[in-house]
Amino acid sequence: MTAVEVTGLTVRYDGATALDGVDLTVADHQAVALIGANGAGKSTLVKALSGLVRPASGTITVNDRLAQVPEGREMFPDLTVDDNLRLGAWRRGRRNRDTQRLYELLPDLVPLRNRKAGALSGGQQQMVAIGRALMADPEILVVDELSLGLAPLIVGTLAAHLRALHTDRGLAVLLIEQNARLALDLCDHAYVLEAGRIVLHGPSAELARDPRVTDAYLGAGHE
Amino acid sequence: MSDLVGYLLTGLGIGSGFALVASGLVAIHRVTRVVNFAQGAFAVLAAMLTSTLLAAGLPHGLAEVGGVALGAAAGLLTGLIVLGPRRDSPGTTPGTALIVTLGLGVLAYAIEVLIWGDQPRSFPGVPGVAEIASARVPAHYLLIIGVAAPVFLLMALFFARTDLGKALSACASNRYAARVVGIDVRRMGLLAFALGGALGGLAGVLTTPVQQVTFDSDVTLIVNGFAAAVLGGLTRPVVALGGGLLLGVTQTLAAGYGGGAYQVEVALVLMLTVMIVQAARAR
Amino acid sequence: MRLLLLGAVTLAIPPLLPERHLATFVLFALTATVTVGVSLLMGYAGQVSLGQAAFYAIGAYAAGLLAVHGAPPVLGLLLAPVVAAVAAVLLGAPLLRLRGHHLAFATLAVQLILLSVLASADWAGGAIGLQGIPRLVGDDLGYAYAAIVVLTLAVLVSRNVIASRPGRALRAAATSEIAAAASGVPVGRHRLAVFALSAAMAGLAGGVYAFYLGYLSPGSFPVLLSIEFVVMAVVGGLGTVAGPVVGAGVIIVLVQLLNTLGTQPGMPGYAPSVLSYAVYAIVLITCVLYLPRGLVPALRRLRIPSRAG
Repeated sequence: MTAVEVTGLTVRYDGATALDGVDLTVADHQAVALIGANGAGKSTLVKALSGLVRPASGTITVNDRLAQVPEGREMFPDLTVDDNLRLGAWRRGRRNRDTQRLYELLPDLVPLRNRKAGALSGGQQQMVAIGRALMADPEILVVDELSLGLAPLIVGTLAAHLRALHTDRGLAVLLIEQNARLALDLCDHAYVLEAGRIVLHGPSAELARDPRVTDAYLGAGHE
Repeated sequence: MSDLVGYLLTGLGIGSGFALVASGLVAIHRVTRVVNFAQGAFAVLAAMLTSTLLAAGLPHGLAEVGGVALGAAAGLLTGLIVLGPRRDSPGTTPGTALIVTLGLGVLAYAIEVLIWGDQPRSFPGVPGVAEIASARVPAHYLLIIGVAAPVFLLMALFFARTDLGKALSACASNRYAARVVGIDVRRMGLLAFALGGALGGLAGVLTTPVQQVTFDSDVTLIVNGFAAAVLGGLTRPVVALGGGLLLGVTQTLAAGYGGGAYQVEVALVLMLTVMIVQAARAR
Repeated sequence: MRLLLLGAVTLAIPPLLPERHLATFVLFALTATVTVGVSLLMGYAGQVSLGQAAFYAIGAYAAGLLAVHGAPPVLGLLLAPVVAAVAAVLLGAPLLRLRGHHLAFATLAVQLILLSVLASADWAGGAIGLQGIPRLVGDDLGYAYAAIVVLTLAVLVSRNVIASRPGRALRAAATSEIAAAASGVPVGRHRLAVFALSAAMAGLAGGVYAFYLGYLSPGSFPVLLSIEFVVMAVVGGLGTVAGPVVGAGVIIVLVQLLNTLGTQPGMPGYAPSVLSYAVYAIVLITCVLYLPRGLVPALRRLRIPSRAG
């Protein structure tokens, strides 16, 4: 079974083509990376998956419950961490908004629960964003730019959490990342997006050896 | 001394009315970014309907609830027009929305004059005069305070304690994130409009026994409500409440000690000063 | 050429109109003059004024007071726009720091303060009003021509402002203030200039109005009047030369038609006011929702393809 299946997806903004015939599949319990430079169309794909932009053509099939960790973390800055988390379960109804189990899963959030989300550090906010997405009890987690603007040490911690969620709990992951090394390291399978098109895809281990990837995305400048 | 206590209580009563209008404005503006010029019209519509219901023999309480319900319905209708009728309606920009609500305010004039005529209307409130600390205050002012206070308390609890209230705050805090977690931002906007309508309606129903209402009373109400709300940048309900009370007390004191004139100017000059200071500070 | 033709037609209208329509024509030309200023302000400076009737009142009272105290009417008429513009500069210096709905409410507040001051000012006749203003010209036809002159002046000035370099800069500033500021345009000063100009137009129209009516009271300048100017400007099309004139014309004709209907025997006494409120509201809302750029741009778009085909 597939968690997400995208075929021939094309999205245009005011005539400019942001995505051009994109095919992408995430199987159940699979971790897939989508790598590409700034402006390649990664965020547009995330928005299309969540129904926030309408495709010009193509189909998106989401079979499993999908939750999103948006780019830039997008906290509710005036609300507490606990309220941010509760609202993550908005779609699931009042009975399923208890945050207790989440704190067991991500104990780092416990001391932050009553603080305003806007007052947290970037790494803490990213953890809240992951927690908020988990509150929707997803089968697939779409993470948009996990590492953006965060220190390597913090990225390492977040990546470890994500890996544990994937391997221990069977959560499917679609990781959209500029940091290709992190993405290929974390995921089994990867797609490379350039100027709105998928130019390469395959198992992460293969892509990591592909010169087109190593030259463009894993060079010294991308460490 | 007893004069002062009397003015203060009267001012708090009048100020509660302003504060209710102001919180309606704030409730709508926080969630939708729309400054609703029709906010005063909700109060007038509610007051007019209440006077008719009372004249038709409905008991006090029920008639007022009817008025408030009309305010809420008018608020919802305003929201539907401003935010668009369908889920995926683009809606209007905040600038355009001000013009649309301006038009809806004028439309309310047509409806009000058609149904209720253009003469001032009123209805009896709580009769008699209460004596507090040797000050004599018309008892109805105490009723206004007595109703408005728990309403504000309930609102505070609603926003702080319920998920629905938090979802409304979430839309105010970060609309994009609200959509990401699956909150229907437009539906929340409609809810805010209905709430704003009910609060405006309550203001009209409560204050009409002490201040007659005419179809064009909405201008005074909206200006005073805006003046109160602008203190908190149109986004902070508690400041709007404080602003309304302050405005009511200041006006009553100005009227009491200043001989009746300059009542209107006090609110207006205060509002202008606040806005200009805020704008100067923002640079 | 087209302008000359338009001018000739306009000049030919008043003598052909029966007495009661002549009054409507004067009202139209004066209202259109104020609306030209409002349209300039909204379309070019991006500012909503809900208090333009205040400047209309200032012009009217300036002209009326001078005339009542023995000054020649022409002097009063000439000073009316000056007084209104000076008031606008004094008020605009602090107020134009505000944007959007803040400015809208600030201008509304200014008008309410002015009305309240006028109502309690004995020297201005108080709430009863200023009476016995001498006439400027002999008959309504004369006033119609005076109003045409005033309107023409406003339209020409507005045309020049729109075509000028500062006009184009302001247009840019209405959409992106940062871009305009970055281009080195003194946006603030131009904006104040447009504010003063629009006030001068309102003041000039107010001057004619004072002599035409011969009587002024605070009640002649309600907040609703300011809203009506905004409605006409929006309906006609903001920032166009013809828009405010067309907007004022369409609305005044509609209101007049419905007024005739509303005063038919058998109609209730409140019918005319209900109908006119409804016209303002429905035309405004329909226009904003379905013709957001206004009548004139919409008509222009209709015409261009038919010409090409």
